[in-house]
Amino acid sequence: MTGTTGWHLDPEAIRRYAQGAAPPDLAASAEAHLMKCAACRGAIASHVDARRVESIWQEVADRVDAPRRRGPERLLARLGVGEATARLVAATPTLRVPWLLAVAGVLVLAALAAQVDERFLRMFLVVAPLGPLAGVAVAFAGGVDPTREIGLAAPYSGLRLLLIRTAAVLAVTVPIVAAAGLALPGSSRLAAAWLLPTAGLTCAALALTARTTPVVAVGAVASAWVLLTAPATLAGHLDLAFGAVAQAVWLAVAVAGGTWLAVTRDTVTLNLGRSA
Amino acid sequence: MTAVRVQGVTKSFGRTTALDGVDLDAGPGVTGLLGPNGAGKTTLLRMIATVLAPDQGTVTLLGRDPSRSEDRTRIREHLGYLPQDAGFHRGFTVFEFVDYVAILKELTDRRARHDEVRRVITLAGLESVSAKRIRALSGGMRRRVGLAQALLGDPDLLVLDEPTVGLDPEQRLRFREMISQAGEGRTVVLSSHQTEDITALCTRIAVIHQGRARFTGTPAELTARAEGRVWTDARRSPAALAAWRTGEGSYRNVGDPPPGAELIPPTLEDAYLLLMGGSELEVTPS
Repeated sequence: MTGTTGWHLDPEAIRRYAQGAAPPDLAASAEAHLMKCAACRGAIASHVDARRVESIWQEVADRVDAPRRRGPERLLARLGVGEATARLVAATPTLRVPWLLAVAGVLVLAALAAQVDERFLRMFLVVAPLGPLAGVAVAFAGGVDPTREIGLAAPYSGLRLLLIRTAAVLAVTVPIVAAAGLALPGSSRLAAAWLLPTAGLTCAALALTARTTPVVAVGAVASAWVLLTAPATLAGHLDLAFGAVAQAVWLAVAVAGGTWLAVTRDTVTLNLGRSA
Repeated sequence: MTAVRVQGVTKSFGRTTALDGVDLDAGPGVTGLLGPNGAGKTTLLRMIATVLAPDQGTVTLLGRDPSRSEDRTRIREHLGYLPQDAGFHRGFTVFEFVDYVAILKELTDRRARHDEVRRVITLAGLESVSAKRIRALSGGMRRRVGLAQALLGDPDLLVLDEPTVGLDPEQRLRFREMISQAGEGRTVVLSSHQTEDITALCTRIAVIHQGRARFTGTPAELTARAEGRVWTDARRSPAALAAWRTGEGSYRNVGDPPPGAELIPPTLEDAYLLLMGGSELEVTPS
């Protein structure tokens, strides 16, 4: 840029340009001139709102410096999820590809085995809720979440983080289990019979996190589920855990657990790890 | 103001007693916890970082009680913490990772948060690698990323667990510089088993050994305890608790000197050796 030119913008043109009221042709001409003329740049400075310029500059710097959102975060943004929440979801350990492949692999194998022997079908129904449940537990396991220690010392609400991660895990793992269920022989009702038990068990585990860590809570709930349902289910008495009455009970458990969490959200400190 | 007050704290894991009645006060400046591996330093720092609760005793941080939920949240808003084995989401870039921690620190406004992320990245000297994935960084650079996230929000209390471990000499010097700057106007509590780091950085130290505070005071006070107990000789002295050949060819002996020994000024390392050397050399906490 040079310091001066032979002519200068008149005060009215400067005022209109500074206020953003100049027509496009005048604005383009003024802009080209200002790049070359120090005197006009000096004259326009008094007409410009410094805070507005600072704000625009900050916006430019932010757009240039801020990281580009990657696939999952972009997808979540399109679904209306805030960018901060999307970043927290992207950091959920159980949404890593190897974990999801492992869950999918186990369930696909179980579904294929069920084609051969009906006992495997029953076993699938017992195992199916454990995939999403394990995902919730692993999302908070110390050995899997590399930033767990830093997160424990941060002021972010434990309940909010728990719900965000649980929702993310369920949103990804439930479709995987459902897809594996489609490979099951027999009625489609059976293929979906694990859904409400999964919801009930997850809500029960979340409610228990007021007393213990997610890993222990999920472990307790999953153990109880297997101990109570496996013997009857494997013996062929599917109605006990998956019949209409049982489904109503699971729905009630899910609603009760969710309601309890909602009601106590401001008073209960969730135990996401060893805490002070 | 005393930002950290630890009184009579004990903590056990199963049958192992990690801390056994420890007292510690820390105010503005850098306070160092010195001790061998397994001494209990990390357990104490995790308590100061509100991550772990004591079995007995009291901890007061920034004038608040971390055992109370409301106080704990307020403390965490003014706390920066670099754990010993700080993990990273290695697929994240430096900016993304620090931004992720900033979200956990409740910096909700996106633009203000990004400004703060840029500020701490600059403070840690990471501008040139801001867009690089963490898995592509060296160990020293990752440690800087750890420090950057701890500095988010300009915390009043900074807890750094072995911040210089695994760094080469040049990186350690740069890290010391950063920690020293961080200690201006705020309380920094760090742990190390490197006496050089403690000497270079700390205004106060606590020597932790087997879960107890063997000494609390200034580095000069600890060094003074070795006065008259370090000497040089042409050979290793049998009276020495420890002795090693120096670059000049003579032996530096630490222990109870024989009559007529050529005494030399002690260092903090000499005093630390004497403190750790045996029960007969133990010094009661001041």
